[in-house]
Amino acid sequence: MTVQLSFARFAWKNLWRRRLRTALTLGGIAMAIGAFVGLVGFSRSFEHEWLRMYQSSGTDFAVVQQTFLNTSVDESDGAKLRAIREVAQATPMILNLMDLTPEVNALAYGWKADSYEFDSLKLLAGRRFEDGKPEVMLGELLAESLHKKPGDILEIQGSPFTVTGIYHGGSALEEGAAILPIDQMQVLGSLQGKVTAFHVRLKPAPMGEPQDRYISRVQGEIQAALPGLRAVPAAERASNNQLVLLAQAAAWGTSSIALLIGILGIANTMAMSVFERTREIGILRALGWRRWRILMLIETEAAVLGLVGGVVGIGVGWAALRVLAALPKTASIVSASIPALLLAESLAIAMLAGLLAGAVPAWRGAKLSPVEALRHD
Amino acid sequence: MTSPVLEVRGVRKSYDNGRIEALRGVDLAIAEGEFLAISGPSGSGKSTLLQLLGGLDTPSGGDVLFRGEPLCPRALDHYRASKVGFIFQAFHLLPTLRAIENVQVPMLAAGRDGMNRAHKARALLRDMGLEERMQQYPNQLSAGERQRVAIARALANDPEILLADEPTGNLDSVNSARIMEMLTAIQDKRGMTLVIVTHENEIAEAAPRHIRIRDGRIHEEERRG
Repeated sequence: MTVQLSFARFAWKNLWRRRLRTALTLGGIAMAIGAFVGLVGFSRSFEHEWLRMYQSSGTDFAVVQQTFLNTSVDESDGAKLRAIREVAQATPMILNLMDLTPEVNALAYGWKADSYEFDSLKLLAGRRFEDGKPEVMLGELLAESLHKKPGDILEIQGSPFTVTGIYHGGSALEEGAAILPIDQMQVLGSLQGKVTAFHVRLKPAPMGEPQDRYISRVQGEIQAALPGLRAVPAAERASNNQLVLLAQAAAWGTSSIALLIGILGIANTMAMSVFERTREIGILRALGWRRWRILMLIETEAAVLGLVGGVVGIGVGWAALRVLAALPKTASIVSASIPALLLAESLAIAMLAGLLAGAVPAWRGAKLSPVEALRHD
Repeated sequence: MTSPVLEVRGVRKSYDNGRIEALRGVDLAIAEGEFLAISGPSGSGKSTLLQLLGGLDTPSGGDVLFRGEPLCPRALDHYRASKVGFIFQAFHLLPTLRAIENVQVPMLAAGRDGMNRAHKARALLRDMGLEERMQQYPNQLSAGERQRVAIARALANDPEILLADEPTGNLDSVNSARIMEMLTAIQDKRGMTLVIVTHENEIAEAAPRHIRIRDGRIHEEERRG
């Protein structure tokens, strides 16, 4: 057997010699990347579910006040919306987050019984609720968490509501939600005459007018007809609402701290490794290795640490997402899948973290003089 | 004398802001294919001279010339990788690599392709009588075997000059004799220039040319044959 020494093999052997230290460093970066995948995956999944919800119901616009979730849109504005020629349907809705039991949180929607948004739901059992009655429909996931079926009573804010139906929704946000008559939501929230938003479906674009130009034109018309309100295209609303932005900020903030700790871990490992190998670096320099090659060797070791830690971290993050997707408190807002883009980002961040952490030790190693390094004990 | 392959002109080397003078103006020309021994007491500057000849360090004053051209500080890596091979007293093998991998390390610097590197390393170790030991790690080899691996490594890029700093300093007499036999045989067979720094008179006197250094200057020179 002829053993062929490659640059990568050499780098790997250097890492392998201190197995425990390498494993602990990998653990650190894996936790950091795991946190990144879990948290950012959670926020992306949340955003994705919003988009799916709008897409499945065929909503083109959400008409809201400047601040999302500020339930101060007048319900009477619906008439003005419906008067716009291009608007096919405009339905009022209220959105809130409820603590249904100590263990189960759920999104709660207030809809009209004749809302077009029911078209995207599949009724699995029971019937649709009626306006003006204390009735509620439950998403499949929520019904399972609450162990409820049609005919059961669900207490919401001290009032009994009859479960009329169980539905399958177009997104996890609907699957884990409760839908009540909008008038009941107004009573529960002391919001008489107010709604969170109007969801608007447009008529098809006229022949010859491109869809994006059509959307932009109608957006202007809605905003002109309803001063002080904003017509937000569905895709934009999915990624740019306060809940999603808050989730993204929390995810990035927390994972940045975790990544910083991971980077410091690799930097510490590489700094110790360079110090311990000073004489070996001197030998390499004596044998004609250029400074940049020494730098590359140390950076390769750091990048391998980052990359392997990243792969392990993706596994950790995926497991965390699976747990979150199974927990009653979070099942309605997260799915266990990791988008390919997030995988690529995680690996790139892990490798970049390694390179960044290895930069200073690599530079210090590369600038060693061969004679001084050879003298090092 | 044929044109020198290596030459030092008025070379000085000082450390610690000039407080320590290791070399105080050395002039020396080494012919191609020559076997030169440098001896002297500890601290005389003999190892410093070898380091300057090998491009491991740069002089504080004077010039080191390779084939008549001063060594350019920017090109020292290339010079070390392609023109000289080093053998050290402490062997300086890399502990994480097998013997055959250690021999390939200089070839990585020279950019030889992978299979070529492995075949060359195997052939060199076979020449050193280490065919059965090439998969061993340095800590699994005897001192004599380690030095033979180091010689194979020094020859990896077919250098023109072999520089050995106390190559037998850590060896018993049997292994010392064997290593010296190997070095002279290599020098003879390849027509290489061999410069050995030693404090052992027996080794120094075996060289056709022998210089003694004292207090940073060439104190005495002997030629034989």
